[in-house]
Amino acid sequence: MSVRVLAAVAVLLIGLSLALPALATGYVVYIGNLLLVFVVLSLGLHIVIGEAGQFSLAHAAFYGIGIYTAALSSKVLGLPFLAALLAGGLLAALCGLAIGILSLRMRDIYLALSTFAFGEAMQWVFLNWTPVTGGPNGLAIPPAQVLGQPILSDKAAFPIVAGVTLVVVALVAGLHASGLGRAFRAVRESEVAAAAVGIDVRRTKLLAFTLSAFLAGAAGGLFTTFSTFIHPDSLGFQTTILVLTMIVVGGVGSVTGALGGAIVFGLVSELLRQVPSYQEMIYGGILILVMMYAPRGVFTLVGRR
Amino acid sequence: MTKHSLCRIALAVAALAGLAGPARADEPGLTPTTIRIGMFGPLSGASMAYGFDVMNAARMYYDKINKEGGIHGRKIEVVQEDDRCNANDVVAAVKKLVEQDGVFLLNGGSCSAPVVAAKDYVVRSGVPWVMLNASGDGALYPPQPNIYGAFSISQRAMGGSVVEFASKELKAKKIAYINHDDAYGAWNLEGARFQAKDNGVTLVPEAVSPSITDVTAPVLKMRASGADALVIATYARPAQLILKKAQELGFNKPIVIAVNAIANLKQLAENVGSKDAFRNVYIEEVLAAKPGSEKLAWIYDLYKANYPDLAGKPDHPQVYMPYGIPSAMTVVRALQAAGPNPTRAKVIEALDRTDFDSGVMAGPIVLTKTEHAAQKASTYFKFDGEGLTAVPGSFASRWTYQGQ
Repeated sequence: MSVRVLAAVAVLLIGLSLALPALATGYVVYIGNLLLVFVVLSLGLHIVIGEAGQFSLAHAAFYGIGIYTAALSSKVLGLPFLAALLAGGLLAALCGLAIGILSLRMRDIYLALSTFAFGEAMQWVFLNWTPVTGGPNGLAIPPAQVLGQPILSDKAAFPIVAGVTLVVVALVAGLHASGLGRAFRAVRESEVAAAAVGIDVRRTKLLAFTLSAFLAGAAGGLFTTFSTFIHPDSLGFQTTILVLTMIVVGGVGSVTGALGGAIVFGLVSELLRQVPSYQEMIYGGILILVMMYAPRGVFTLVGRR
Repeated sequence: MTKHSLCRIALAVAALAGLAGPARADEPGLTPTTIRIGMFGPLSGASMAYGFDVMNAARMYYDKINKEGGIHGRKIEVVQEDDRCNANDVVAAVKKLVEQDGVFLLNGGSCSAPVVAAKDYVVRSGVPWVMLNASGDGALYPPQPNIYGAFSISQRAMGGSVVEFASKELKAKKIAYINHDDAYGAWNLEGARFQAKDNGVTLVPEAVSPSITDVTAPVLKMRASGADALVIATYARPAQLILKKAQELGFNKPIVIAVNAIANLKQLAENVGSKDAFRNVYIEEVLAAKPGSEKLAWIYDLYKANYPDLAGKPDHPQVYMPYGIPSAMTVVRALQAAGPNPTRAKVIEALDRTDFDSGVMAGPIVLTKTEHAAQKASTYFKFDGEGLTAVPGSFASRWTYQGQ
């Protein structure tokens, strides 16, 4: 992502933070909040898949860990929003590190299946650890506290969600351009060649999984600023596939692609809710067309023009 | 920043702004000639069977009212949203209906767990919300000022009713009770325990996982308890396994299957596989009479008239279709009671005084300021694996919310 695009994103988010709560309905702002959570989720998956080339199908699990941890930190410990968000990110990162250790011993489809199994296991935990997660009855999330004030509406939450998203976009763009970003991509292209030029492949992989999980957990923390309820059904494989679709359609390996894919597919998903009988067919049709005519991603195509 | 970047920003803002709706009047969703009602439920996806035709039933009832002249001269205008029985989609649908479409009240929700996701928002917004057929215990207890539900039956009332039937009709002194080990199971067991204590009978509960595959141990335990009757308060799949195992292990006492498991009785009988397993089986139903019977014929006739194409399809109307009627009746009665100049506050006041016999459900629809779960009774049928024979009367739960 170029500095120019990053500046455009910053202007857009700051502009929307000022204008949207004043001009749009709460529903539009809610959708805006959701899209920004998808952006952070996509950027997290982008780090492990797009940058480091490691298959991870447990992203929804890390997201869920972030949501439950942030919600419970706020509910039980009374932590303010930012501390709760960091707690969610850190616990998810710890789990990501564990998965990263697993990744040192396997690759490709075997790694994909192992991370998938972790995701399914976590959903089982969310569903059955009733005293903590509320189980199938879901968990009521208390309003996030910022400077001692509860956030009680989507409009109040939007500037905070936009601000955190902007920081994450800048960090991921910076990471992409940094030495660590180059190390990620070297491992993605060839672990042997990366090791030959002095890159610590084990450390690099562990970092990729940990950072990716941290962002997924942070996205979970962001979700708790404008949502009052979480149910385990929202944290299954379908959510992981949705985020994976976002980064693939946007353009694997591209920060702009992950960002654009999240916005476009998040919007498409909501707009298709208006056409119940045809939504799956339209969704599938869009995917097939993109894979046929823009296999490297829609936003990488736009970026090249 | 280039011209292109600015254009892209403008396009993005325009795309979001494109979702924005028209400006709202003082009392949202109300014009001199119309009242706008927001409906939501699963119109697609795996849970469609729980709500698609339930919504159709409510809509056809509103059409009927419109044809009869509307409510104080206003026609009911329905805006419909798909919630896919998913918590995030329920919230998006509700927020769109309230903030974008500016509906006067909400009449939606077919799936009990996801509807809870909208609870806090609805309470904050103050919009009256009358659920469709979700049992909705999680959103109804403790009672919220503007949320009403359980027009089919709440889980607590289901548990209470089934114990009432087993103790009063089957004369059971000791009742074995198999429920799920999740929140729904805990809720219906709460009602069952209350009713058992009130009736002076012993309840022997056994909780199983909804995904259980071997029910030998719980069935043996229930048989060994010496119970006079067995209540199965699980979903259809565990219920099938328990019925089959009970027959294999020679359990010969009456078995009562709660409403949670009866969505497709034909399928249930086929999956159990033996007619002998149904020698002493009763099923719980929340409708006032057998589905398709003379008493309910007007609903099925109305469905055929309103949706001739759907009615011609083999799986329609769906089993739960009539459950949409009492909920719509309640909305209409509250709007009528609120007078020619209704406000949301007046409608809530009217809803809190609801008391009528829908003629559709087993018991009356009663709502008060402190009880927002509408219906608490069930009817029972002897089921031999093919046909249903009605047991006279209806059996109501007496459980009431006593606070946290």
